[in-house]
Amino acid sequence: MAEAIITFKNVSKTYILYKNDQARFKALFIKPKNPKTNKALNNVSFQINKGESVGIVGDNGAGKSTLLKMITGVAFPDEGEIIVNGKVAALLELTAGFSMEMTGRENIYLKGYILGLEDDYIKTIEENIIEFAELGDYIDQPVRTYSSGMKMRLGFAINVNIEPDVLVVDEALAVGDASFKKKCKNKIKEIISAGTTVLYVSHSAASVKEICPRSIFLKKGTIIFDGPTEETLKVYEESKKKK
Amino acid sequence: MILLFTIFKEHKGFGKQILLLAKNELIKTYKGAVIGPLWAVVKPAFTIFVYWFAFSCGIKTLKSVNINLGGPEPFSIDFFTFMFIGIIPWFFIQDSITQGAKTLRTNRQFITKVKFPVSTILTYTSISRLYVHIFLVAIMYVYVLFAIGPSWYNLQFFLYCPLMFLFFLALSWSTAPMSAFSKDFESLIVSIMSGIFWLSGIMYDSYGFVENPVLNFVMLFNPINFFVNGYRNCFLYNRPFFEYKTELVIFLAEFAVVFFLGIFNYNRLRKKLPDVL
Repeated sequence: MAEAIITFKNVSKTYILYKNDQARFKALFIKPKNPKTNKALNNVSFQINKGESVGIVGDNGAGKSTLLKMITGVAFPDEGEIIVNGKVAALLELTAGFSMEMTGRENIYLKGYILGLEDDYIKTIEENIIEFAELGDYIDQPVRTYSSGMKMRLGFAINVNIEPDVLVVDEALAVGDASFKKKCKNKIKEIISAGTTVLYVSHSAASVKEICPRSIFLKKGTIIFDGPTEETLKVYEESKKKK
Repeated sequence: MILLFTIFKEHKGFGKQILLLAKNELIKTYKGAVIGPLWAVVKPAFTIFVYWFAFSCGIKTLKSVNINLGGPEPFSIDFFTFMFIGIIPWFFIQDSITQGAKTLRTNRQFITKVKFPVSTILTYTSISRLYVHIFLVAIMYVYVLFAIGPSWYNLQFFLYCPLMFLFFLALSWSTAPMSAFSKDFESLIVSIMSGIFWLSGIMYDSYGFVENPVLNFVMLFNPINFFVNGYRNCFLYNRPFFEYKTELVIFLAEFAVVFFLGIFNYNRLRKKLPDVL
């Protein structure tokens, strides 16, 4: 049997919608009675094995972001269990989590420490990151002086160069000019062929088909279909028509 | 014990990073200003001047303070020295309480966007305030050397200062997540701070309610008094920290309560933080 790298066991996540700020304040001390809730994920279970590339499709509000946030360890489930074995790199919000006053180089270390890497290891990938991000001398300038394109390039470069076990990619991602975009696409493909597990979120059927043999279709927090991409996309298209 | 675990686990292997981020926090505060780090001195110096002016020159009665340490005779100390030594820890305490409560909100990018050991945010911002505090204490000590002279009791600073750091760090484990949850809680803390200043023995002697023993006892429950009087033990009274045992015991009990409440509140709210910020 293949080795599971991500396991979701009956995972549910409910957001509480507080009526107003008073209700929020009260909730600090007393558990709110019958609050309005939004069930972002409802009893979701699946397993992703090492080396698999899985697409996640669904409309806005289907729970895709919540799902990804849980895999990257930002958000937590209310019920159920999530097991992720390995380093997760996320190409979601590339510019987030930078410390603006610190230099690009210091931010590489910051990111590395968060992922649990040692100094020695970071030193070995440092040059690759700087080279890939095409930052040149700017690497020793504070990140606040970077243009938004430079910040994104650095974010992307860090995430792809740490040799992640799981790579989470949002397709809506736009990184810099056309030539750099191409470089990014190639790098992602290279990572996939190296056997890294990839989670790919997209609205476009074509790009999912291109990258992922398996896909999961989410709708209103539940998994409607989980299987070969061809079939998943068929189900997805049909559900769109029904509307 | 499992509860304790989260905060410790989040700090494990993160020591170097905490120091780097603390330094970064300082840069963030003072960079871009012409006199830069000197601002850390200007503001407290001006505050001290204002209080000295108001009390010693304005309200002309307060040139000296009578101190009652339970000895046979109360003794008199020059008001400026008395206030100066007490207000230095207060600056740290004030910033720790108000800034500490706001910290998670101002650093929300680390909570909602990336996986980050959230409790270390409280630690590194606290350390950056500690740097400023130590700088101010150094300046104060120069004054103490000239005005009072050195004493072995000065070394008790190395007990009081870390204890103060830990106490207010543990307090922020409660206040910071709660403020992140509700802005009202944050505003509440900020608005009671000036009241707390006057309720603590910074401008007056908190042991000094001689005619009213009940009030004298109640004052011991204010942990700020413990530190303010503690600093005076080190630099002014030349008194060992264990001499007033009731005060010490009350403080230690409060510390334990704050510590465990902090751990409890942090664990209770940690996983909800990314949803509310």
